[in-house]
Amino acid sequence: MIPEAAAWLIYFVPLTAAGVIAVFLRNRPLDAGRLMIGAIGVSWLLALWALNSVLSGDHPGESIGYDPHHWVTIGTALDVSFGINIDGLTGVMLVVVTSVALLVQIYSTGYMHGDGGYYRYFAYMGLFCSSMLGLVLASSLLQLFIFWELVGVSSYLLIGFWFDRPSAAAAAKKAFIVTRFGDFGFMLGIIFIWTQTGEFDIATLNANAKELSAGVLAGFSLGLFAGAVGKSAQFPLHVWLPDAMEGPTPVSALIHAATMVAAGVYLIARFFPAFEAAPPYVHTIVAYTGAITALMAATIGLVATDVKRVLAYSTISQLGYMVMALGLGGYVAAIFHLFTHAFFKALLFLGSGSVNHATGTFDMRLMGGLRSHMPITFWTFVIGSLSLAGVFPLAGFWSKDEILITALDNDPVLFVVGVSVAFMTALYMFRAIILTFLGAYKGGESSAHGDGGHHSLHESPLSMVAPLVILAVPAIAIGWVNLGGGFGHLLEGALPEALRHGHHEASSLVIVVSTVAALAGIASAFAIYYARMPAPEVIRARLAPLHMLAERKYFMDIIAEDILVRGVLYRGFCRVSELFDTYVVDFAVNMVGRVTRIASEVARRSTMGQQQAYSSLLLAGVIGAVVMLFALTGNLMER
Amino acid sequence: MLTAFLLLPLAGVLMIAFLPKDREHEAKYLALLVTTIAFAISLFTFVWFDRSVEGYQFVDRLQWITAQDAGFTVQFVLGVDGLSLPMMVLTGLLTVAAVLISFNITLRPKEYFIWLLVLETAVAGVFLSLDLIQFFLFWELELLPMYLLISIWGSGRKEYSAMKFLLYTIGGSALMLVGFLVLGLSAGTFDIAELAAAPPAEAIIPLAAIFWFIMAAFLVKLPVFPVHTWLPDAHTDAPTAVSVMLAGVLLKMGGYGILRIVLPILPQQSLDFRMVLATIAGFSVVYGALITIRQRDLKRLVAYSSVSHMGFVLLGISAMGAVGLSGATLQMFTHGTITGLLFIMVGLVYDRAHTRQIADLSGLMHRMPLIGTVFVVTGLAALGLPGMSGFVAEITVFLGAFGPHPIATSFAVFGVVLGAGYILWTVQRVFTGPMNERWAHLPDATEWWERTAMAGMLASIGIVGIYPRVLTDVVNMGIAPIAAVLGGGA
Repeated sequence: MIPEAAAWLIYFVPLTAAGVIAVFLRNRPLDAGRLMIGAIGVSWLLALWALNSVLSGDHPGESIGYDPHHWVTIGTALDVSFGINIDGLTGVMLVVVTSVALLVQIYSTGYMHGDGGYYRYFAYMGLFCSSMLGLVLASSLLQLFIFWELVGVSSYLLIGFWFDRPSAAAAAKKAFIVTRFGDFGFMLGIIFIWTQTGEFDIATLNANAKELSAGVLAGFSLGLFAGAVGKSAQFPLHVWLPDAMEGPTPVSALIHAATMVAAGVYLIARFFPAFEAAPPYVHTIVAYTGAITALMAATIGLVATDVKRVLAYSTISQLGYMVMALGLGGYVAAIFHLFTHAFFKALLFLGSGSVNHATGTFDMRLMGGLRSHMPITFWTFVIGSLSLAGVFPLAGFWSKDEILITALDNDPVLFVVGVSVAFMTALYMFRAIILTFLGAYKGGESSAHGDGGHHSLHESPLSMVAPLVILAVPAIAIGWVNLGGGFGHLLEGALPEALRHGHHEASSLVIVVSTVAALAGIASAFAIYYARMPAPEVIRARLAPLHMLAERKYFMDIIAEDILVRGVLYRGFCRVSELFDTYVVDFAVNMVGRVTRIASEVARRSTMGQQQAYSSLLLAGVIGAVVMLFALTGNLMER
Repeated sequence: MLTAFLLLPLAGVLMIAFLPKDREHEAKYLALLVTTIAFAISLFTFVWFDRSVEGYQFVDRLQWITAQDAGFTVQFVLGVDGLSLPMMVLTGLLTVAAVLISFNITLRPKEYFIWLLVLETAVAGVFLSLDLIQFFLFWELELLPMYLLISIWGSGRKEYSAMKFLLYTIGGSALMLVGFLVLGLSAGTFDIAELAAAPPAEAIIPLAAIFWFIMAAFLVKLPVFPVHTWLPDAHTDAPTAVSVMLAGVLLKMGGYGILRIVLPILPQQSLDFRMVLATIAGFSVVYGALITIRQRDLKRLVAYSSVSHMGFVLLGISAMGAVGLSGATLQMFTHGTITGLLFIMVGLVYDRAHTRQIADLSGLMHRMPLIGTVFVVTGLAALGLPGMSGFVAEITVFLGAFGPHPIATSFAVFGVVLGAGYILWTVQRVFTGPMNERWAHLPDATEWWERTAMAGMLASIGIVGIYPRVLTDVVNMGIAPIAAVLGGGA
């Protein structure tokens, strides 16, 4: 059993390393990278220990109880305590975060080699890993929220890592503010549930959820969901994630694909007992938000020309899948997909970074023919794509099937959505492969979007290739962990008895339909983009309005930025307030000043210098005041 | 001890006054020495403060005007409890910071530092006085140095701004004096503790009117909508150190006055008007934030953000319970350090670039990594990032206020989203982007006094953010009796 101190170390080790880098290693960047790899390696070992502890208990997956510690107390009215919670869900998340983080750090030593901000990069990465691990270990809602915000700020710092690029600085700001809109709901949810129950402890809240009224549970669940919509880039707050691709690619792989963006899914899963107890309309809202997100993002993925944006929209789409699963009650399905997605999507992002390292661009129109130059990148990218497309027997197949089974059991409409998204996923991924790796090379370079790097078509260095190869293994095989339902059993250990469903029986209908959808998507990609029968331009012309809609991202950026923020908020509410402040409030103040001055002018003129007149006025004033006092109180003399 | 804290700056005034003309540049060292000792005294008081006892400690009492036949005595009495102690430490800390960042003052330095020290005494007197008349005298004493500091060492429309500040405050305090006199004469005492122990049931004018008379002065000082327009002008035209003092400690006099005087002495009226206060507070937060977004001058931007952030203080107060009141006290302390530091950062930028127009600035991060980094960190603290003190205060206010005022609190929470907007947008415009040749020659913060001021303020923000009990355990002792009078609810 892992002792509590070791559990705290899981996230204090990277935090300490980040501090050491910021203070002592600014002039020794290579040591900074090594230190961070070592620190996350330690966290990884501790995470494995934690997972092992959870597995080896009498009831696998059940929480290891540690006593919380007081953070703030105000009399008896408020008691905020922090602690560590480790159960099946935490154990899985810890291993996902530390494994991917470790590989991404190793990859970064190659990818970021020679960057002027190398030490800063690793310090920020340490801050992120520490916050993310703190988020999954938190035993209290407020503690979770604290780390929730800290991963947000690490993301802000890393998206804006190349702050001299205006686009990166703008993307960082946008990411933080858009997610804050979601956090507004999340905060209200936290405040609301505390006002209702006086409780922050996650386990207690979940255990007592049944006793709360439907309205309270609905308010709380929707608050959590608002947070998830922001962080996990669900419609309509998804607009920040594609822009976040301005950050260095390893950052996209770790934060904006594998871990932080999945925090919203984790959050709902963490409160699954309370969420399940909420009224059904809450579940419907969540499921359909997820479905809309999955569908919308997949269609944009079909037309994006930047390989990283394809992956970004794919991530939004897959997160929508997970959220849909949660809305349908598929706790295990959602987390299982989160788990497999983390590996193959990190692999794909790192692969795109490797491509960028060679070509200097992310624009697929400038690529092509990279297969022979970068065989390892190519093959690992194909493995990741097959896994994402859900081809048997790769990891993505198993988790996607879980979600589709859940959908089929609960809502046929969402099942159809799920299958069509699966088709589109296969299509856009293989479109990306064909445009990037097959055909003839189209020059690369020159784009301002690239991360820089060397522009000769060679395979990337070992430090970058090795993580790709290592990640390819879980992208193929990690789905097998749930073949006997062991993984689901571990996750469900975190839930109360009543919510444990046991293992889903595989449905042959779902297997057939999803496999056909995936293969059809791949075949279509080859037909259109490789054989050009029909050519993409033909399809584009046929579907012109739809194509335009997807290409313009359904005008969501324009609606959000130009209309809502610049228009309604900045030119509307802000400007009205400013004008009101200047021309009404302050004007009134200045008028009072002016009137006083005029009045005193009048008074000055009335100084006629006659002592008698002054005295009589004074007397009248005193009498008036006394009369008023009597009138007001009546009993002054009795005191 | 408290008397020493109060009088030490005046001793410094004497020392500086006797400096010969040719050594006037040494005034700053004397001022630093004196304020550092005063700060040390406040820290000692903080450490020795008994955290298990409610009520006043370290009391110094002196009968001043005794007129028993007339029914009242005026006395000189100082003391601290959990409410005033954080304000005392804040005053000590910010004055040191204000002196440090004034090290480059060359215009009439002797007078400048004299007035800065007088200001410290006046503010400390407000926070430590336990008698209404004495409180009022220190309240008025603060006006003189402020008026002179703004109108002589300021910039822009400095006379207008200084006069506006003066008139607003005098207008408020005239009403306050009426309120104090009526209260004191009705109850036969001006002693705050005695008045709080036996709140007057009636007076020669309705208590509700007295409530608003006194509140008028405090709401102006806080400030909240619609009596806030003196603040942006005063801040914009004041020298950096005065902005730091103004935002850091002078605004706190308003919130402190409400907590120390209005709530305990007029509890029923406070409860009666809590909805009004909450509405003003929620509105102020959002209104202030909306206007902040539009500001083009860095200093005006920070000033308007103060209007928004001080709304949290009033919101916490309007909750009228232990959690909300503690949150309000924490917010006063934390706003003092965070906004104080933001003004310092703006001042450092202005000292170098000689402009505060956001549109003129860009890419400063390249040449000023230290100033840029500290600005970003402080900005994150201002937008309520956990791990820093602002978050602790805000969440405590929200938790306390949501129960009685769900709508006003929701508005205030939305103010946090807007806060992220104006802070990060400012950072983006001023510090990021490609290097701007126009600013390529500017130096970073290299002087020891600049770095010391930044480090001290950052330390206080971080310590309270990570381990808030260092403050809350003290604040609890001051808030508990007030909350008990108000009914002790959450």
